[in-house]
Amino acid sequence: MLEKIMATEEAITSSNNGFVQNPVGGSNPPALKKKRNLPGTPGKLTNFIFKNIDSSIYADPEAEVIALSPKTLMATNRFLCEICGKGFQRDQNLQLHRRGHNLPWKLKQRTNKEVKKRVYVCPEKTCVHHHPSRALGDLTGIKKHFCRKHGEKKWKCEKCSKRYAVQSDWKAHSKTCGTREYKCDCGTLFSRRDSFITHRAFCDALAEETARVNAVSSIHDLTAGSINYDLTGNPLGPNMAQHFSSIFKPISSNDNQTRQGGVSLWMNQGLAQVSEAMGNNIQEVHQLRSVTSSGAMFGDLFAVSCSQTPPSDHYQLNWPVFGNKILSDAGASQLASVPSLYSSQEQQSHRTAPASMSATALLQKAAQIGATSTDPSFLGSFALKSNANKVQDASKFYGLYGSSPVSTNPASDVESSGNDQISTLNQLQMYPSKRQKIFQSDQDSPSGGQTRDFLGVGVQAICHPSSINGWI
Amino acid sequence: MAQEEGSSSVTSSPLQFLPWMPLSPGMGSPYPWLRELKSEDRGLCLIHLLLACANHVAAGSIENANIGLEQISHLASPDGDTMQRIAAYFTAGLADRILKGWPGLHKALNPKQASLISEEILVQRLFFELFPFLKLSYVITNQAIIEAMEGEKMVHIIDLNSSEPAQWINLLQTLSARPEGPPHLRITGIHEQKEVLEQMALRLTEEAEKLDIPFQFNPIVSKLENLDLENLRVKTGEALAISSVLQLHTLLAMDDEMHRRNSPSGSKNPNSNHFQRVQINQNRRTLGDWLERDVVNAYSSSPDSALSPLSLAASPKMGSFLNALRSLSPKLMVITEQESNHNGFALMERVTEALNFYAALFDCLESTVSRVSLERHKVEKMLFGEEIKNIIACEGTDRKERHEKLEKWMLRLELAGFGTIPLSYHGRLQANRFLQSYGYDGYKIKEDNGCLIICWQDRPLFSVSAWKFRRYD
Repeated sequence: MLEKIMATEEAITSSNNGFVQNPVGGSNPPALKKKRNLPGTPGKLTNFIFKNIDSSIYADPEAEVIALSPKTLMATNRFLCEICGKGFQRDQNLQLHRRGHNLPWKLKQRTNKEVKKRVYVCPEKTCVHHHPSRALGDLTGIKKHFCRKHGEKKWKCEKCSKRYAVQSDWKAHSKTCGTREYKCDCGTLFSRRDSFITHRAFCDALAEETARVNAVSSIHDLTAGSINYDLTGNPLGPNMAQHFSSIFKPISSNDNQTRQGGVSLWMNQGLAQVSEAMGNNIQEVHQLRSVTSSGAMFGDLFAVSCSQTPPSDHYQLNWPVFGNKILSDAGASQLASVPSLYSSQEQQSHRTAPASMSATALLQKAAQIGATSTDPSFLGSFALKSNANKVQDASKFYGLYGSSPVSTNPASDVESSGNDQISTLNQLQMYPSKRQKIFQSDQDSPSGGQTRDFLGVGVQAICHPSSINGWI
Repeated sequence: MAQEEGSSSVTSSPLQFLPWMPLSPGMGSPYPWLRELKSEDRGLCLIHLLLACANHVAAGSIENANIGLEQISHLASPDGDTMQRIAAYFTAGLADRILKGWPGLHKALNPKQASLISEEILVQRLFFELFPFLKLSYVITNQAIIEAMEGEKMVHIIDLNSSEPAQWINLLQTLSARPEGPPHLRITGIHEQKEVLEQMALRLTEEAEKLDIPFQFNPIVSKLENLDLENLRVKTGEALAISSVLQLHTLLAMDDEMHRRNSPSGSKNPNSNHFQRVQINQNRRTLGDWLERDVVNAYSSSPDSALSPLSLAASPKMGSFLNALRSLSPKLMVITEQESNHNGFALMERVTEALNFYAALFDCLESTVSRVSLERHKVEKMLFGEEIKNIIACEGTDRKERHEKLEKWMLRLELAGFGTIPLSYHGRLQANRFLQSYGYDGYKIKEDNGCLIICWQDRPLFSVSAWKFRRYD
């Protein structure tokens, strides 16, 4: 058998054009399946001897091996009508066409005997499929393969820059191009759910903007992906998170309500349906971009997917209601209104600005001011902002800190930069004189070598209250 | 609740008899314009006053400190905005510190009373629920445990502060879903209060029965520093994991003054520096011993550096505790700690660090809970307020809240013979997912050298790191 096979191989390689038919002898043929070669498994002839049914990537040893020339493979309409020149892919079609010209036609009948299985080899010598053992079983298959691998890519997708050599590939791609894409907030595009999720978990941009996370795609993938996506089939993922929902549930009352709506999103494996339904409501959901909603749904997803007994009465895919619920129920800080959802994060941080700055921000500001100011006073500015009466009060305050040249900026607001106002300075200095006497005795100790505070100014300077003005 | 008890006690204390005129005429603020301050200005004012006051306290000038406290009292309030609340608790801490100078007064005003256990439990529970920190820590810890215990049939977990059943319920549930089936699980819980442990035992055994996991809970009622490791009854053949959530720093409490006095200061004696360094190199085998000895200033003499050995070295309790833990050869030790340096020797250093740290925590509350919430007030007063008071007012062995930054912990643990286990990618993923799923806005998880840092808006707050006993070659 081995000799026959070797002979066959030589025969095939020696011929380039036309048909070569050489049976490849062998024992019981394994089924020809489309399986990828295992790494390290050599595609050697010797494998035939072992008749390994698992290595079904190998061609049927008894099949007829046909080697077509590139020209033949690429030719689309090889059968031409001599009258009108119309080309046909199949001889049968040509014959039928000839009938129309009243030409003698003959349809080839199927042979009576059992049809010999035909396998085709790729004419490209460097190709794996050039070898008869790795021949492909389908004529269309080998044509496409040849075009794809060794042909010129003539078809180009309009939306993206992908090129294709085979028209059917191109068609298939352009149907899905841009429809199922996952986009991270940082701008990276993904076609696969799992890689998208992996990226998302580590993307900094995402972490910063969790409040305005892109709704649908992320909700889709976060949830759907989380069912399937678990790195090593480790059931920990779903289980862990399921327990999030039961154990670590935050006490906010909003959650329950949003959750009920959220569960509706993925009734276990009905993801396909869900995604369809969701697809219709993508617009709405886009607007619902809030972490709470996705979060709640997320938590519930896990609960659901863990084959526990989910509350079945909530399985109402009720998007508009859900949407409203989210909007109405979600925490005040988040979903005030749809347009504001996007900036809910900003709102949150800015919300405090008019009301009150966050303490950390205040500390940073204080540090900045402390670092930049030399000898400012701030309380004076407050006082002088108001009226003269208050100057006296401020001066009492100054007295507390001992006398020191103070620069003030009465007319300006907090935001203005510190301008020395020597006149007011003198004015101020006159006031505290009386008070100073009283406090001075107490002031002696603090002045001098004290520890420097974190603002970078010594206690001495602290005795001279720094001005807000200098704190810009 | 208008005024902090601390500050009001100061103004009404005999300090008033000192010969200076009190600024306030007695009622109301003499500075009406102070009321008109915008919150931002008021906040900045408060910061400034706080620091000034802290400086005075550090310097020992009580009169000025008193004046400062009085000033602040006009602006601060436990019911106001973030900065006002922080100032309220910080001034309470400062006042407490001053009052300790009059031990009789202090004791009279702070009688030793057994605080209600239920209140303490409640406060811990509130901390668990209002913030994601504990939950995240539990998620990450449990993930690390599961990964380390893959394939183990007998797992023994020691919980250094066993107060929240949710942590282990989560673990039980996850273990029950293990592909090779759940292991035989033993959890040893350590806590000072029996009731807490009883509660834990109840809930955990209930859960384990539900899930049909062979489970055993061993309660140990003890202070961490008095822990007798014999009681832990670690058996051979079982895989040991230790979970320490915000506990380890209490072991750093030591008599700083004594240590400072006893140890040779590096700057004065460069020879001794070298000598000590040599000594240390020679004694690599007995690092544990070294940790226990009063060898300080081994590396450098700069007291300002964060990694100053002055604070790194020789807390005897820590040294012996880590030694003991090491002798148990744990497979895994997960440590969650506050990521801030509140263990500086100088008061000002601690005050400024604490200001930044607790500002972030108060901000968290401000952003997530309403101002009138009683729970928030409780957490602020009874948890953070007490921590702040401890950091500012206490010294020596009383000062338990000795938080330190991750880099210091890493040094410390490495010296004690532990090696890091980088926290897995999966664990980080879980943590991130958790944050997203529960809509915890503003919280972030960063990775640093294999450890995870939980941040609020870029401000690192808590660190979680995993360790194993590293054998010497």
